[in-house]
Amino acid sequence: MIRVFSTPACPYCVTLKNFLKEHNIQFEDIDVSKDEKALNEMIEKTKQYSVPVIDINGEIIVGFNQDRIKQLLKLT
Amino acid sequence: MLYDLIIIGGGPAGITAGIYAARKKLKTLLITKEWGGQITKANEIENWPGTKKISGIDLIKQMSAQLKQYEIEIEENKEVIDLNKKGDSFKIRDNDKEYETKAVIIATGKIPRTLNIPGEEKFKGKGVSFCATCDAPLFKDKTVAVIGGGNAGFNTALDLIKYAKKVYILEFLEEMRGDPILKEKLEQSGKVEFYTNIAVKEIKGKQFVEKLICEDRKTSEDKELEVDGVFIAVGMMAKVDFAEKLVELNQIGEIVIDKDNYTKTPGLFAAGDITDIKYEQIVIAAGEGAKAALAATDYLNKK
Repeated sequence: MIRVFSTPACPYCVTLKNFLKEHNIQFEDIDVSKDEKALNEMIEKTKQYSVPVIDINGEIIVGFNQDRIKQLLKLT
Repeated sequence: MLYDLIIIGGGPAGITAGIYAARKKLKTLLITKEWGGQITKANEIENWPGTKKISGIDLIKQMSAQLKQYEIEIEENKEVIDLNKKGDSFKIRDNDKEYETKAVIIATGKIPRTLNIPGEEKFKGKGVSFCATCDAPLFKDKTVAVIGGGNAGFNTALDLIKYAKKVYILEFLEEMRGDPILKEKLEQSGKVEFYTNIAVKEIKGKQFVEKLICEDRKTSEDKELEVDGVFIAVGMMAKVDFAEKLVELNQIGEIVIDKDNYTKTPGLFAAGDITDIKYEQIVIAAGEGAKAALAATDYLNKK
């Protein structure tokens, strides 16, 4: 299960989500500006307050780290 | 492989240079850390000719999509760390590979100016932010400080009052310099307190930001301000370490160019906010990118 925590006006969030869509990867799109529970979960898990945060089956990455994400999703 | 042209930077200047270079059939590579740069922080752009209103993110999406339709090589998410001369050509190194090219256009724009105070780096992403458009929603019902009483600071505060419970605006000088009309909107919210003559000396906290140490410049007294977040809005700065050997920089670190975008090194051009042009706007950056590409084309044709 892939979950993306983002806010509406964050440029890297847009880039990350487009990247996932381009590679046909399904993900849960969580808007932490509207979902307070999710925001707290994100802060709790990552010990920081910036977006995007992507949770790939339990492995958490802060920011759009393309190489690491490709690795975890087994993309070339 | 020897490129005709390498463009460094994927904002309006770099992208426009890329479109022009590709259409001139120059063998071109564009290297960028991210698409857009400053433009992505703009919520509403109403002065891009031909478009009544558009967000920065959407405009840069359109620009980069247009660029990608042309024959041009692109390296995304890469940062140039070295630029050197190699005989008549140039050698460029990013955090991955090395490239060789006959001409270069530097279009790396500007980055947020930092305060260089203790805690600023440590708490980045843990309460310190440079982008209210991005991060304001994360401070719902919290108390935040904005450092900077100019338009950047006021616009930051306008984003924040939608979510935060309280916003302090801290200005170093005697007076707030932002537009009165913005100040009015902020005052009307009832959430904003304005302080002038404040020098922020340190950002403190355990895991996240908890307080600021501020000096009242008139009384030299130190004061503690409890906050959950601090947004730094003290302007933009030019930083182009990798090119310092080959270009002339002015007093504020901008690359000095002539009216045809030539730097002091032949074959090395620069465009946009990184240069010493007087006015900095998206449409100007795009125009400068086009000029630089055309100048580079002429330069290459003469060789």
